[in-house]
Amino acid sequence: MSIKKWMLPEGVEEALPPTSWELEDLRRKLLDGFRRRGYELILPPLIEHLDALLTGTAQDLDARTFKFTDPASGRLLGLRSDMTPQAARIAARRFRDQAVVRLCYLGTVLRTQPDALGGPRSPRQVGCEIFGEAGIEADLEVIDLMLRTLRLAGLKKAHLDLGHVGIYRAISGKLALDPDDEAVLFDILQRKSQPDLAEFAQARGLKPRVVKVFAELMELNGDVTVLQRARETLKSAGDPVQEALDTLEQVVRKLRAEAPKLPIHVDLAELRGYSYHTGIVFAAFAPGHGREIARGGRYDGVGAEFGVARPATGFSADLNELLRLAQ
Amino acid sequence: MSQITIALSKGRILEESLPLLAKLGLEPAGDIDRLLRVPSRDKNVSFLIIRPTDVPTYVEYGAADMGITGKDVLMENGSDALYEPLDLNIARCRLSVAARVGHKPGNGTRRLRVATKYPEIARRHFAAKGEQVEIIKLYGSMELAPLVGLSDVIVDLVATGKTLKANGMEETEIICQVSSRIVVNKAAMKMKHAAIQDLLERIAKVSGP
Repeated sequence: MSIKKWMLPEGVEEALPPTSWELEDLRRKLLDGFRRRGYELILPPLIEHLDALLTGTAQDLDARTFKFTDPASGRLLGLRSDMTPQAARIAARRFRDQAVVRLCYLGTVLRTQPDALGGPRSPRQVGCEIFGEAGIEADLEVIDLMLRTLRLAGLKKAHLDLGHVGIYRAISGKLALDPDDEAVLFDILQRKSQPDLAEFAQARGLKPRVVKVFAELMELNGDVTVLQRARETLKSAGDPVQEALDTLEQVVRKLRAEAPKLPIHVDLAELRGYSYHTGIVFAAFAPGHGREIARGGRYDGVGAEFGVARPATGFSADLNELLRLAQ
Repeated sequence: MSQITIALSKGRILEESLPLLAKLGLEPAGDIDRLLRVPSRDKNVSFLIIRPTDVPTYVEYGAADMGITGKDVLMENGSDALYEPLDLNIARCRLSVAARVGHKPGNGTRRLRVATKYPEIARRHFAAKGEQVEIIKLYGSMELAPLVGLSDVIVDLVATGKTLKANGMEETEIICQVSSRIVVNKAAMKMKHAAIQDLLERIAKVSGP
C-alpha cells in the first residue's frame, strides 16, 4: 500500500490557517447579511433517513449519496449530499403555518462522486431558499443574494446565466416522444450537438418538425437579445412557452435596472436540474474558471412529500470553491 | 475581443485541421512540432497542441475554451460536460470490430475477449447486442492481440483497412462513423459568447461535408 496514513481520501479537503480564518470571516459576514434580510438559519443533521434526503433537488443524487444501515433501526440512512431537501423538509414541517418562509444554511455536504472532473467530494454548501413566493420578486431576491455572496467572497466580475426549463418541458410535452428517444434528445440538447441531432434524426426517422424545434432550441443562447429571437422562433410553441419568455423578459428588465453592468447570458436549452426545476434557472460564472460557481432556480411544488407543497426558489454554492477562486 | 484558446489534437487530426484553420487566417505562428503552446496569426486566438484524448480534459477544466478532437474520444469519455456544436468532417474513419480472417464466431459458452483502447465503447456496443464480453484494455498495436491469442476480436479505428489486411484481419462489424468535432467549454460559451459564436460560424462555413 502506497497510501500513507496522513493522506486524506480523494476529493476530501480540510481548511487550515489562514484559509480557515478567511472561511470563518466569510461565514460570519454571509450569515449576518442573510439574517438582516430576514432569513432564518437552519442547522440540519448530517445523517437522515435516505428516502427523506433523496427528494427535491437531491433526487438525482442517489448514486452520489453515501449510505449505510442504521444499527439501531435497520433502516437505510444517508449522509447529506445537498442541504436543499433538508430545508424543504424543515419548511414543510416546522414552518407550515407561515405563508412565506426564508431559510439559509451553511455546512459541509458529502458526495461519493464529485460534481465535475477533479472537483471536491466535500463541498461547504451555502444557500438561501424562499418557500411560499411564486412571483419573480422571489427569484430576483435569490439572484441578488447569490451575487452578493460572490462579491463578499471577493468575486467581483461574475456573469449570470439565465434559462427556463418550462420552455423545453412544454415543447417536449407537445411532441409526445417515445421515452427512449426523448432521453437521447435530452442528452444531445445538453451537449448542443447539431451533428448528433442530425444523425439521430436520420437513424430514427424523426419528424422534420421535431428535428427543427430541437435544432432551433440549441441555437437560442447568447446575450439578452436571444429573448427577442425566441419570440419569433417559438411564436407558435404555445402559451406556456410565451409565459416563460414573459418571465425571463421581466427578470432581465429588473436586473438591467438594478445591476446595469452585470453581464447576462441567456440559454434556453440549459436544462441543469431539469428533473426538479419548474421555472427559471440561473447560474453564476467567473472569468478564467471553466465551470459554474453558484446555481439555483425555481422548484415549485416542493415539500409535497412532507405534506405541504409550496412554490420555492433558491440558490447554493460551495464556499470553499468561492474562496479558492477569489484568491 | 475576448482571447480564445483552442486545444488541437496531435497527429492526423492536426494535419487535417491546419488547412481548415488557414482558410480562416488562423495559421499557427510558431513551430507546432516542438511548441506545446503556439500563438496564431490572429492575436486573439492561440493554440495548445496536445494528445486527442487530453482535449476533453483541457476543455472541461477551461484550460482551453474550445478544442478539436475525434468523436471516438468523446464517445469513450461519455461526458455531457462539453458542448459539441460542429462536425468538421475531417479525419474521417470508422470504429469497427475486427477479427482474424476466417475467425469463427463464438458459440456462447465462453465470453468473447475484446482487445481495445475504447473499453467503454466496446462494452456499450456488445451490451446493446445482449452480449457480455471480457475487455482487455491496450494502448496501441491492437492488431497483435488476436494474432497471439490475447483476444478473439479487437475494437479499433479503421481508416483504410490496410493495417488490418497486412496482419491477416478483417472488419466484421462497423460500430459507427467517426470524424473530428469542435468541443466548447460550457462556461466559455456563456462568458465569451460573441467571440466563440463568431468563430463557430466561420468554421462551419469552411467545414462542409
